[in-house]
Amino acid sequence: MEKIDILKKVNQVFIDTLDNEDIVLSYETTANDVEDWDSLNHIQLVVAIEKQFKIRFTSHEIQSWKNVGEMIDCILTKV
Amino acid sequence: MSFAIGDKFETTFIINKAVYNGFVNIFNDNNPLHTDESFALSHSFKGKVMHGNILNGFLSYFIGECLPVKNVIIHSQEIQYKNPVYLDDELVFEAVVTGIFESVAAIEFKFNFKNADNFIAAKGKFQIGLI
Repeated sequence: MEKIDILKKVNQVFIDTLDNEDIVLSYETTANDVEDWDSLNHIQLVVAIEKQFKIRFTSHEIQSWKNVGEMIDCILTKV
Repeated sequence: MSFAIGDKFETTFIINKAVYNGFVNIFNDNNPLHTDESFALSHSFKGKVMHGNILNGFLSYFIGECLPVKNVIIHSQEIQYKNPVYLDDELVFEAVVTGIFESVAAIEFKFNFKNADNFIAAKGKFQIGLI
């Protein structure tokens, strides 16, 4: 799977989880750029992404992400 | 993590008069389906139908009091109502662990309530976090 394909799937997970059709993620997107991407929704996003890609993250990995690009790089290592 | 996929929990609940009256008194949902026996009978029910959201109260009790850990918080829950429940019905509640997300300390369950006729009264899923 290519990085851009993962970005598209992650974008859809964000749209579904945050119920916001207007979300357009880039590799540089951070939580500050997305309305409602708060700490509780972050849990729901991680759970949804783990389900979507049938993977599991570690808490250390999650805490290391600085933006969506780093999240996607992490997903790439697992799919 | 105190849970494993497939872990199953079961308990029973009864919607007795105290529960029913407490719910009506607190939330004031006096819809005749729930409070008027003749109205309920005229709409093909066997009697006053208990409020579906009473089951959410039982679900809250289960999560807060019956799980093997107390450090829990509800992240989300979904419930579908399938069959009516009547006063003094005994409900058999079952919950099964269906997902464990250690990275965010979250556990997902599926659950159902079976009514006195052994039909599914309600079913759904919920997610808790370990705090």
